[in-house]
Parts: sequence; structure tokens; C-alpha cells
Amino acid sequence: MANTLRLYLTCIRNTLEAAMCLQNFPCQEVERHNKPEVELKTSPELLLNPVLICRNEAEKCLVETSINSIRISLKVKQADELENILAKKFLRFLSMRAEAFQVLRRKPVQGYDISFLITNYHCEDMHKHKLIDFIVQFMEDIDKEISELKLSVNTRGRLVATEFLKQFI
Amino acid sequence: MILLQSPSRFLLQILKDRVVSGDKGVDIDCHTVEFDDVRYHIQFSMRNPKVMVLSVALPLAPPEAILHDGLPLGAIDAIKAAYGAVVQILDPPKDCFDLTMKINLTKLSTDEEQRNVVLTQIASVREVVLGAPLKLLLRHLASKTVAPNVDKLVALVHRPNESFFLVPQADKVTVVYPMRFQDSIDIVLATSFLQEFVEARRTAALNNAPSCMWSPVPPLELKGVNADALDANAGFVTFVVFPRHVEGRKLDKTVWSLLTFRAYVSYHVKCSEGFMHTRMRRRVESLIQALDRAKSDAEKLKKLVHGGSFRRLVCANINQTCI
Repeated sequence: MANTLRLYLTCIRNTLEAAMCLQNFPCQEVERHNKPEVELKTSPELLLNPVLICRNEAEKCLVETSINSIRISLKVKQADELENILAKKFLRFLSMRAEAFQVLRRKPVQGYDISFLITNYHCEDMHKHKLIDFIVQFMEDIDKEISELKLSVNTRGRLVATEFLKQFI
Repeated sequence: MILLQSPSRFLLQILKDRVVSGDKGVDIDCHTVEFDDVRYHIQFSMRNPKVMVLSVALPLAPPEAILHDGLPLGAIDAIKAAYGAVVQILDPPKDCFDLTMKINLTKLSTDEEQRNVVLTQIASVREVVLGAPLKLLLRHLASKTVAPNVDKLVALVHRPNESFFLVPQADKVTVVYPMRFQDSIDIVLATSFLQEFVEARRTAALNNAPSCMWSPVPPLELKGVNADALDANAGFVTFVVFPRHVEGRKLDKTVWSLLTFRAYVSYHVKCSEGFMHTRMRRRVESLIQALDRAKSDAEKLKKLVHGGSFRRLVCANINQTCI
């Protein structure tokens, strides 16, 4: 299982490395405007083909690229209802703090759980390879955090139940 | 604190302060709520600083739970038995309350230990009043009989408009809780908690605990109960209590834990949500640090230079003021 995760992440890393070659590109319609083309999609020649990387049905990653911006959308695995609730809670928590993350999109793309929007300005401010490192680490951390949260809920439930039942003995 | 304590901390503190503080006559008129269902109204007047008027509002009873004069079965007797001469029940109770009691603190014994016992018992008024019918049934179980003039299925109120059910038999009492929660997250967490109860019961150490079952549909015991009472979104929990669980001194503890089972689960659901938030906050911090590492050195340098010049400026200012 760990092996397939590594392959999945390596694939995403390589895709991002190839896709993240952004340049400054002012808006073609309004003077002195500079907008992320991947969001506005003003003209087809500025967009590249989107890449969809799937680990399985529940886990996938969509990379959409344009001349001056790139949008990465993730879908996190949710095996049961508890994981679903935990993932929703955690990702909502992150999206609400999108300002602190700069590259995080406030709202995920439809059909995905969380999205990033990276513009050429971000690439100028930050090292490209470290930005990719961050996104890959982010994906690993989300998975880890959700499984740890689930474990902690179960452990707590067991402890609570044991203490309650102990009273009767 | 894992287990809930039966005396209300708030009530106990007020009582203790009043007993210890001597004759300071201060008016007290305050309301408090416990577990989101029982309301207390505490009054001390200037004229009688040693007399407390305590009013208790019980949760609104659903139609299936039978009350006698607005109180659970046997509550009046239980109050009289528990408090004796210290407490006088006022009839009728205050508006919007189900029970009003006059507590005369001058009648307490002078021995401190004994006094504390009585005060603690007054603070556990919830257990005495709401637990009265449960205690009655379980006391009969201890002597392996069925209480006379009791139905086959008894509904007892424990939350506003919600009740839990007991099936009293000579050798065992089956207790069924329909679990309801409002929040969708609460429902999921509580469901996984309740399943842990079943799992925990299976371990060898808890072999003697009451057997515990959880099912998403109403168990057979609840046949014939109207559909409103069976509308539970977190399933049904069943405990089977045997005489060995209510022997002697265990009785009070068992009554209390069965009475507050819903509050206990809900309390821990909220606790674990709080814990999750702390964890998530920590995780966000570590992720932001990871992003900071990606920032280029040029930007960091910019910040550093700026910081340096600021420091120099401050130093210059200080020097000037010194001169």
C-alpha cells in the first residue's frame, strides 16, 4: 500500500515539475490587468491540456495548467462515514485559513476536496522545487492526519466505554 | 475528568460558601442549567440568610413517560428519605418549575464531615428526583422481584422530550436508550463511540459488566412504542442489568450512570471534537512552516535587512533620548 502511495506521489511530483513553467502574462482584454488564466479561461491558446492522475476511484489529482497559473485539485480518500466527516472537517479548517497558505484556493473545484492556485508571482517568490515539495508533503500530511484522527477517536471511544462499564463491576 | 460527578458543582459551592461564611446576609438569585436539561433556580433572601429556596425544572416529558403531579414516580418519597428534616417541599412549586424546596441550613449538624455529606446530597438533587423511579425498579431487582403495579415497559424521561425505556423482570432489567444527536458530526462520532461500547464489553476484564448491544433499528423490547419515541439517529443502545450490578452500595452508582448515559456520551463527543481542533491547529502551523521554507532567500534577506535597519533606528532613538 505504501508503495502505491509513493508511485502516486512521484507521478504528481513529475507532472507538477513539468507543468510549473509559468511566465508573466497580462490580460489581453483589459489593460493593466493580470489575471490567472486557468480560472478565467479567456482564450483557448493560453490553456494546456489538464492532467488527471488517479490512484483509485476515491483518490485523484487534477492538474490544470495555463500560461501564467496552475490549478491543482485533490480528492482525498474517504473509506467510511467517520473518515468522510473527519476529512470534511479538516479540509474546511484548512480552506478557512487559505490566506495564511497563499497558494490555497478558498473554495475547491467542483468534485474535489481541496484546490491550490499557483500563479507566476508565487513562483517568483518561492523556489519551484520547494513549492512542489510543499504540495506533496501537504498531500501526505492530510492522509496521515485523517488516519490519526480516526485512530484517536476510536481510542478515546474505547477508553470512555471501558471507564463507563467499569463502574458496574 | 472522565466520569460525570453526581453533585452539581455550582450548587455545592454556593451551599458550602453559605454555610461557612457565617451570617453575611447577601441576596442571591441565580439560575443555572445542568447537562442542557435540568434548570435550577437558587434564592437566598436577606431576611433569612440561612434558608435557601431551590427550584428545579425537569426536562419536558414526552407523552410515553408517566409523571405523578409533574414529578417522576416516587420522587417525593425519595426526597424525604434523602434529606429528612433539612428540606421542606413547597406545594405548589414556583411557576415554570416542577419542584420547589426550602432548605434550612440551620438544621444541619455541626459536625463538618456529616454536614458535607448532607450538602453533597442536596447538590445531587438531580439524581434523587430523576433517579427515583429507576432506583425503585433496581431495588426490586436486587431482591429479585418485580415491583408491583409497574408496566412491562417503563419509559423514563432523561432529556427534553426524550425518554429511555426499561423492561423490568425478576432476574434482570433491560435498559434501552434511543440515541439522538442534533449535529451531523455528533451523530457520526457518537455512533462510533457506541460501537466501541460493544467492543469494550467483549474484553475479558469487563466480563462482569452489564452486556451491551448497539443496533441501528429498535430492538424487540420496544415493540408497540409509538414511532415518535423511536426516532433515533444514532441507533439504540441496550444494557442488561443483573442483580449483581445493583447489590448494596453499587445501587446509587448504577442509578447515576444509567441516568446520565446520554449526557456522558455527548460530553465525550464534544471533548473529542475539541481535541481534534487542537490537533488540526497544530497541523496547520506545521504546514505553514513547510510553505515558509519554500520562500526564496531573496525575500528572507529583504526581511532581514529591513529588521536590521529598524533596530538601528530604535538604537539611535534611545541614544538621543539618553543624551
